[in-house]
Amino acid sequence: MRTSDAVSGTMAAALGAALIVASADLSPLPRQVYGAGTFPKVVGALLLLMGGLLVLKGLRQRQPWARWTSKVSGRAFVLALAAVVASVIAYVVLTPLLGFPIVAVALLTLLFRAYHRRGWGRALLIAVIATTVIWMLFAQLLHVPLEAGLLERVLY
Amino acid sequence: MNELMQAAAMVLDGEVLLVIVAASLFGLFMGAIPGLTATMATALLVPVTFFMEPLPAIAAIVSATAMAIVAGDIPGALLRMPGTPASAVYADEAYLMGKKGKLGLALGINVTCSMLGGIIGVAVLALFAPRIAEFALQFTSDEYFWLALLGLSCAILVAGGDPLKGAISMLIGLSLAMIGMDSVSGQMRFTMGSYDLLAGISLLPVLIGLFAITELLRSLPNAGQRASRVETPKGKLLDGVARTTWRYKGGVARGGLLGTMIGALPGAGADIASWISYAISRKLSREPQKYGTGHPEGLVSASAANNAALSGAYIPALVFGIPGDTVTAIIIGVLTTKGITPGPDVFTEQGALVNAIFMVFVLANLLLLPLGLMAIKGAGRLLAVPTGVLYPLILMFCIVGAFSANNSMFDVWVMLGLGLVGVFLMENDFPLGPLILAFILGPIIESNFMRSILKSDGDLMAFVDRPIAMVLAGLAILTWTLIIANGVWKGRKAGKGGGVSTEAS
Repeated sequence: MRTSDAVSGTMAAALGAALIVASADLSPLPRQVYGAGTFPKVVGALLLLMGGLLVLKGLRQRQPWARWTSKVSGRAFVLALAAVVASVIAYVVLTPLLGFPIVAVALLTLLFRAYHRRGWGRALLIAVIATTVIWMLFAQLLHVPLEAGLLERVLY
Repeated sequence: MNELMQAAAMVLDGEVLLVIVAASLFGLFMGAIPGLTATMATALLVPVTFFMEPLPAIAAIVSATAMAIVAGDIPGALLRMPGTPASAVYADEAYLMGKKGKLGLALGINVTCSMLGGIIGVAVLALFAPRIAEFALQFTSDEYFWLALLGLSCAILVAGGDPLKGAISMLIGLSLAMIGMDSVSGQMRFTMGSYDLLAGISLLPVLIGLFAITELLRSLPNAGQRASRVETPKGKLLDGVARTTWRYKGGVARGGLLGTMIGALPGAGADIASWISYAISRKLSREPQKYGTGHPEGLVSASAANNAALSGAYIPALVFGIPGDTVTAIIIGVLTTKGITPGPDVFTEQGALVNAIFMVFVLANLLLLPLGLMAIKGAGRLLAVPTGVLYPLILMFCIVGAFSANNSMFDVWVMLGLGLVGVFLMENDFPLGPLILAFILGPIIESNFMRSILKSDGDLMAFVDRPIAMVLAGLAILTWTLIIANGVWKGRKAGKGGGVSTEAS
């Protein structure tokens, strides 16, 4: 979604202001004017300035507040966004409980079913194969501690 | 000579050779599929390279990107859809050549000239990098401060579009880099009491979020659409390629050299190199009216330029530790985690490694020819890979990859957050290049600034009291002037145009 430059400019300026406020209590180095707060303040001030200029530009050109410019339909985009966000949340929350293999197979099956549209059976089959390959690569070859979870006893 | 032998021994190791071939195949796949870019391929490769020695890690990234840029030409010629942005400028031309029945010639030129351009780039890299490194040995924190600042400024200048947006994108990157413990005073900055933020935000989840999740969010809505039927070239592929390339040999050389130079500029990568090279070749051509109708001349230069730019970007990255594009920014991050800080010292202390990197470049570029031809033959099958399966797989890869950086779920959140920010920024024409460069250069700029200021006891004039530092400072100020002038000029033009902003390409 494309917003007016006034909106994105305001966001940038707000970030700049937040930086300046948050770095107020960073003390300079002993016997110096400069310290841990110097860069945050400089960057914050520049963000305020550039954000402000962008707001002016957006207002002067009377850009519409928000409009849809991308080629894909808004609905398809929102669905994809929801799918990605939900998958990541589900992964983070569920993996410690159920383990990587179960969560990965379940997520991939749902996503394949939704986007490949070839039936549940095939989605499940591809998901199992893909999960096995990722498990082999990351857990076995690269020693990333992916949790086996409920399947611990089965796998080892 | 001894160093060269050592380097050769390092490269001819079974593991390194295997990594080069495997990474090339991975890059070929990623590049050939429209919507997946060379930068995304690199971001996805990094988790795997974390577990490798420095040389195979670099070899993997070098070969994957070189191959991805070449493979990006294939869907351009077959479907009129560039596989990566670096092929966008001549996708039409190659497609029209295909319509005239010269598909084999177009793709053959793509592959051959890419290889030649890549080799020219490596030659320039191997010839000049050690000389510049020798010179850079006398640099102190003053010069590095200016150099890093200059790099950032150039990134805004060449990112194109609205310089205000480029600058804001850069400032966001700097802000992200400040989170965590301050390297000079040890104070906590913006950690909001979070334990996970103490060590700062890691590079890997930022990269995967910005370059993989962002692209995924933009491509996923189109997933599952039926792939169009692809006609692959019949008959001999290399028929007439040698003749055409020889005819435009000047174009190859010009594209190669120009590409290397553009690649060496911070922020400008393969895509800008191919745009500029194509435009110049048209300007200098004896038959410019044929451009855009399926004429091979522009194809020759631009194909050579985008691969040469890949090598060129390594000049500032290896010599100064200042990345020339997003891929080398990633390389610097990878090397740093392995305890190697890119800079002139690497050339004197690890001469064998540097020479081995050059050899890897040559090997990767030579591999472009056989693998590229193979890819063209198998293009039909490659482009029929169902995106509805591919994109969910990439998502799972991203999650596991981001997790693997520190084995922490926090990084998975960072990845998701940056992915969402990335989509918003892209939709609003904020370039992502300056953001990632600033994220990497931020700590370099700050720590060198603090080091200099401590040395001079708070005297700012110390930043310009050495000749080289003064020159670099002058260049930085010149760049800022250009950026501001560019911004004012563009603002005025947009004002006259009735306030209609230009669409993102």
